[in-house]
Amino acid sequence: MAKLGVFDVSVRYGKVPALNDVSLHLNEGERMFISGPNGAGKSSLLRAISGAVATSHGRIEMDGTILTGRPPEAIARQGLSMVPEGREIFGSMTVEENLRVGTGIRRDRSAIESDIAEIYDAFPILGQRRNASAGALSGGQQQMLAIGRALMTNPKLMMVDEPSLGLAPNIVDQVYDTLVALQQERGLTLLIVEQSSARAARVGGRMVLLRGGAIVDQGDAREFAEKDLLKDAYFGGAKTEDA
Amino acid sequence: MGTVAQLFFDAVSLGGIYAMAALGIALIFGVMNLVNFAHGEYIAFCVFALIVPSTDAVAVMFLGKAPALVLIPALLILGALMAMTSEYVVFRHFRRADPVAMMIASFALGFVIQNGLLAIYGSRPKAISLWPSLNTPIHVAGADVPLLQLIVIIATLLVVSGLALLLKKTRIGLEMRAAAENFTMARMLGVRANVVITGAFALSGALAAAVAMIMVTQTGVADVRMGGSIMLVAFIATVIGGMGSLPGAVAAGFLIGAVSVLLQAFLPLDARPFRDAFLYTLVIVCLLLRPQGLFASPNSKPRV
Amino acid sequence: MSNQHQAARIRAWSTPIILALALLAFVVLTTALGDKSMARMAAQTLIRVTFVVGLWIFVGNSGVVSFGHAGFMAIGAYASAWLTLKPQTKALFLPDLWPWLAQAEWPVLPAAIAGGFLAATVALISGAAILRLSGIAASIATFAFLAIVNTIYSNWEGVTGATSSVVGLARYADQWVTLGWAVAAIFVAAFYANSASGLALRATREDEVAARASGVSMYRHRVLAMTISGFFTGVSGALLGHSLGVLNPGSFYLGITFITLAMLVVGGIGSLSGAVTGVVALSLLIEALVRMERGIEIGTTEFALPSGAQEILIGVVMILVLIIRPGGLTGGREFQLGRRRAEPKQQTATNRGVTT
Repeated sequence: MAKLGVFDVSVRYGKVPALNDVSLHLNEGERMFISGPNGAGKSSLLRAISGAVATSHGRIEMDGTILTGRPPEAIARQGLSMVPEGREIFGSMTVEENLRVGTGIRRDRSAIESDIAEIYDAFPILGQRRNASAGALSGGQQQMLAIGRALMTNPKLMMVDEPSLGLAPNIVDQVYDTLVALQQERGLTLLIVEQSSARAARVGGRMVLLRGGAIVDQGDAREFAEKDLLKDAYFGGAKTEDA
Repeated sequence: MGTVAQLFFDAVSLGGIYAMAALGIALIFGVMNLVNFAHGEYIAFCVFALIVPSTDAVAVMFLGKAPALVLIPALLILGALMAMTSEYVVFRHFRRADPVAMMIASFALGFVIQNGLLAIYGSRPKAISLWPSLNTPIHVAGADVPLLQLIVIIATLLVVSGLALLLKKTRIGLEMRAAAENFTMARMLGVRANVVITGAFALSGALAAAVAMIMVTQTGVADVRMGGSIMLVAFIATVIGGMGSLPGAVAAGFLIGAVSVLLQAFLPLDARPFRDAFLYTLVIVCLLLRPQGLFASPNSKPRV
Repeated sequence: MSNQHQAARIRAWSTPIILALALLAFVVLTTALGDKSMARMAAQTLIRVTFVVGLWIFVGNSGVVSFGHAGFMAIGAYASAWLTLKPQTKALFLPDLWPWLAQAEWPVLPAAIAGGFLAATVALISGAAILRLSGIAASIATFAFLAIVNTIYSNWEGVTGATSSVVGLARYADQWVTLGWAVAAIFVAAFYANSASGLALRATREDEVAARASGVSMYRHRVLAMTISGFFTGVSGALLGHSLGVLNPGSFYLGITFITLAMLVVGGIGSLSGAVTGVVALSLLIEALVRMERGIEIGTTEFALPSGAQEILIGVVMILVLIIRPGGLTGGREFQLGRRRAEPKQQTATNRGVTT
């Protein structure tokens, strides 16, 4: 059984279609990248899966349970967590309060404190600023906080919308290292929006290309990276070899 | 010196009532963008719950007969229940609707409650004496201050700090603050919309009950129309405070109380009946100068 | 191409004509079939049509809810009373009126128009201030405006008679006079809605943020709509005074604000036809309820609604309409001749607070 199944899902904002009959499947512990130009429907797909926008057609399942039509809080309880585009951290609350918002759905109360400690281990800067207002953090720190906050719900499937947006390359490396480590440790399934096929190839995983609200291509991230390489010789070959 | 102290106590106790009423409105607005015009009627409802239903001019105590230790919690719970019921019956159906439709619905709901009270209790204002001993003056800083004013001030401080603690230290408080800032994100983290909204209504209704007890002790009158005027002031306080900002609502409540008392004291005698007109004009001027509110925090997102 | 244009224009102008004919039929029917109280009911209804159509000119086009229009109504009503009452009555009841007003003995029509102009002037000034605010803040400010007007008119002893009623107004506003004004309001409303200003304003109704970004003119269109709107609500106030013969500040406060807003919502804020439909539908409902409050006999048992039931029922109807049919009875459409089949409106079901 697939961890996540998306069957012919469409989303429209008023009369404007954002997503047309998109289908995809993720297996347990798998990593999938979604790429595509602006307005291709990447964020709409993530928002539809998380229940933040209504679908106009199609069905979404997780572990065989239908998610479509259920409110976002019920989907979060099912074990799905989201790091949204633009991070959407709670700016007026402290760093630690942000981390605690999502712990309300957990039954393993005792593990909460150790999980917070673990996140402070992974992102030491968050530990140092745990009582600071989250709105005062830098962009990179907010990205770390958004990931930490999503992890605190103890998810089985995590969706991350453009973790590299607006971050310095070394911080992006750090974010991906942490995500991969967490995935191996906890058996997380990951669905990540990532524009750079080179980056995706280096991290490794399947990749889906969205354009105009529909899936136009899919395969291994390395194949995408090679195709992009051929398309534009300026990109140089060295970077994508060591995935 | 004495009159200055007197003015101070008048201003702070009046401002305290406004602040509590404004808090009740700001809480709901912060969580679900609802401008709740029915809030004033929650207050009136709680006042009338104190007396036996009848259209006679003299009020016979009903809930009001109970000793304070029973009466206070009972009325707070009643106010909370009233607000929660109105959410369940009316506002729950507007979750996906336009805030303007919700605002009009709350206006209609307020009218329904008011006319319900009118049908049961009649339109004549009733004399009602709840804790009359609290109106005996005591001497503080050269001013004769009714004991009640001191109690109002203390009660306001208790309520405001209690609410702050609740929001800061409890699970539901954390969820309410998260929901007030970004409802969809909070829900994606598992915060249950129904729990947070019901909680906000319960708190708002309890605040209305607190305002009701203070007002009725101070004025000694139960009037079906009493909700309207306090609600208007509370709304204005919420807007001046920066829609949805709780500290802003409290500060603006006290500010309006102070300005109101000062106008009453220093306007020429002829102009005094028009005090409220001056007050509301000042409010509109103040809104024009700072449309985002006097106390809007810099990182709060624009809501209106 | 020009043929299509012409057809569209004819369709647009068929709306006020249909509405005016419907109101004419309403008056003819009630006058022919009903008694005196029916005629009075018709006049009251048409005064409300004038008011609600006036209100619609602002609310329907701008999308900003106003709680302040009952204030304009009061202003128009008292202005007409000042101009038409007999000088000796004024000397007795309103001793502080300015000398030329105290002496004035205007005919009723210019007095009603003057009332409308005074209300429009106040609407222009207050609107210029209030409409700098956006959406909900502006709505609350209109509420403050209503409270200001009410405070002034309830306390200005020598000019408005304060809370004691002004009596002795000529009761000329029968169903025919009020029909004339209601039809005038409808035509002006249709003219404004189809004017460049009205179209621009309605385009901004859906999305205030985008409208703000697209230009500064929204503010000017809103103030213009508010001013025209103020004129007709002012006139409706004058008519109300000259229909009842009595004025009291309490008649222009929350009660009328509620009822007229209910009419607009029940009929449908989105269209002029909705405004008129709402008034007629709720006026008939109110009339029925008032008769039931007086008691009707069903078989041998007399059955009477408790007082207050009327307002409660209307409030409940209003909430139900908002929940079940948010577009109102007309669903935001106009009554038109030769109307093409409209595209079904797409219901957008997006969650609150979803922004990208």
